[in-house]
Amino acid sequence: MSLQQLGLAGPLASARAWLENTHIAGRSLWWYLTGWRLGLIFLLVAVVLPSLLDQTLVTSAISIFIYALLALGLNIVVGYAGLLDLGYVAFFVIGSYTVAVGTGGILQDAHDNPLTIPTYPFWLLLPLAAVLAGVFGVLLGAPTLRLRGDYLAIVTLGFGEIVPIVFQNLPFFFGNIGMSALPPADVGPITFSDPLNATPFYFLTLIVLVLVILAVTALRDSSLGRAWIAIREDETAAAAAGVNLVRTKLLAFSMGAVVGGIGGALNAAFVTTIAPSDFNFGISITILIMIVLGGIGSIPGVILGAALLRFFDVYLLGTVSNNLEGIPAVATFLAGHDINTAKLLIYGLILIVMILLRPQGLIPDRRRSRELKGIGAAPEDTSAVGLLALEEAGISSVGESAADETTYAGTGSDAQGREG
Amino acid sequence: MATTIDSNSPAAPTGESLLRLQGITKAFGGLRAVDGIDLDVKRGEIFSVIGPNGAGKTTVFNLITGIYKPDQGTMTFDGRSISGLSADRVLRRGITRTFQNIRLFNNMTVLENALVGQHITYPSNLASVMLHLPDYRRADRRATERALELLSFFGPSLVALSNEYASSLSYADRRRVEIVRALGSNPKLMLLDEPTAGMNDVETGDAVTYIQRLRREFNLTILLIEHKLQVTMGISDRIAVLDYGKKIAEGVPVEIQQNPLVIEAYLGRKAEVAQ
Repeated sequence: MSLQQLGLAGPLASARAWLENTHIAGRSLWWYLTGWRLGLIFLLVAVVLPSLLDQTLVTSAISIFIYALLALGLNIVVGYAGLLDLGYVAFFVIGSYTVAVGTGGILQDAHDNPLTIPTYPFWLLLPLAAVLAGVFGVLLGAPTLRLRGDYLAIVTLGFGEIVPIVFQNLPFFFGNIGMSALPPADVGPITFSDPLNATPFYFLTLIVLVLVILAVTALRDSSLGRAWIAIREDETAAAAAGVNLVRTKLLAFSMGAVVGGIGGALNAAFVTTIAPSDFNFGISITILIMIVLGGIGSIPGVILGAALLRFFDVYLLGTVSNNLEGIPAVATFLAGHDINTAKLLIYGLILIVMILLRPQGLIPDRRRSRELKGIGAAPEDTSAVGLLALEEAGISSVGESAADETTYAGTGSDAQGREG
Repeated sequence: MATTIDSNSPAAPTGESLLRLQGITKAFGGLRAVDGIDLDVKRGEIFSVIGPNGAGKTTVFNLITGIYKPDQGTMTFDGRSISGLSADRVLRRGITRTFQNIRLFNNMTVLENALVGQHITYPSNLASVMLHLPDYRRADRRATERALELLSFFGPSLVALSNEYASSLSYADRRRVEIVRALGSNPKLMLLDEPTAGMNDVETGDAVTYIQRLRREFNLTILLIEHKLQVTMGISDRIAVLDYGKKIAEGVPVEIQQNPLVIEAYLGRKAEVAQ
């Protein structure tokens, strides 16, 4: 099955051609929609948006921004460095609890007696959450990043499961009940605690999102970004070119964690009550699906993926089910069911459709689409396609490939070389 | 780039040892791929390692460049031990390499491949890299200039391809880009693993020429694995012959050609293939 077979390739191509051939002020519309211009358009729209929307939608937008942050963070790990992390929620949890503990000022001791601790302002806890998540990123990454792709995925999956359970079962954090966090303190006349006006918080998350977009763009275009691509393509060749594999992977992992921690901190201050049950494997997978939907490695793609899924989740799902319940027959059917339980089913369908029709995502990263189409795949790239097709390409372990070279040293290089 | 074609340049070996392997052994399961090998490569030399298929030549390269750790033995480079160093640290010491089956980053452009080769010249300080601080930008500018300069070693045609994806290049050009990448770290020793594999006679002749130019223009010492005897006999100062992981002979080309053990290793193996 392909876009061609569905008859979609033609209309998409002609839409693109129209954009490329329609010129305004000497530039094509396509030019205006790519690169930093797209970022500028996004920023202008985002600044104007709250004055056009009702508060429900502004609240949805905040949630979209937070998930866009998370998706951009995970994209460093999965999209740039090619490391499959299935436990990204762990850093989200750490960020959220940092703010809840720090602003709430109350914990529990082992006998359920309240334990008063000093409180700190959100503005201090936000960077602290980033640092703590980064530290845990390094702690998790250091022993595990030597593992091959699929083993790494399983270990990170375990980490993502363990961290919420730790917060659930340690005596201090009120177990299943969870904790309350305070919104950020007022800055001059700007108040973040008005439940009827989410606009200030909207702009706070927007500013953080823009900073993160700038940071991940700079990373992608740096020598470090190039080293990540090199590792993704061929670890052995990257190491032989002077890339320190452990350090470079660890940097990707911990920087992804830092962004996850920031997302968690904003989340706690936004929803103000958090509980261990809010953080599950589903969140790690949802963020991953956002990346696949939008385009692995692509910054605008990942943001679009987050926006689509989150809008669907927080706004559309509620609105649709409310409207459906107005129809008596449907209401009877829905009485015993919660449409929210169908969410993961729908996400799963989205994932399958994307992988089949457009694995490079809605707004693909150029290099990643080349990789997915198998252009320029090295002859030794015969490793099985990994989970979600996100497995890093190339040599999975130095030992294996080099053992081959030993056995076949000097043979058939004619044929092999020409094929490549 | 020094482009002197002076016959008194360090092209001629000085007799001073640059790379020394003593009793290097590496086993995979029961197979001793490399079995107690000694090598002594002099500064400025073109030293070839030859031997039948499976003799352990590439394993020796992988051991020197830190892709493998030796089970036994010591390796010193420029007077310092390199045993057990990781691949990137070996590179920092001044040893660079190419691969038998060309391992370029295919979804990167030619220029980007050359820039990865200069990775160690960039600041490692995260703030510099993330914020593109002046020291980062300076390093980036220098690296780009240097990359173009290195590409021009192979003439303007390769420079013209600098924005093409590596996978779109011809076979011979991809070998050249791999050498450019390997030159990026300003190495002292270059390990070339079958640089003429898969090449026709004309391309092989070109390769022989540029290997000699590499030594001359970059003051390199070259350690070469090569199957084509007409290549090794022509350009090597000295040759070591491996068979079943052991060194069975070493000497200048003429000595090697007349060595009965070498003839036996080659002819014996050829007879087996014929069956």
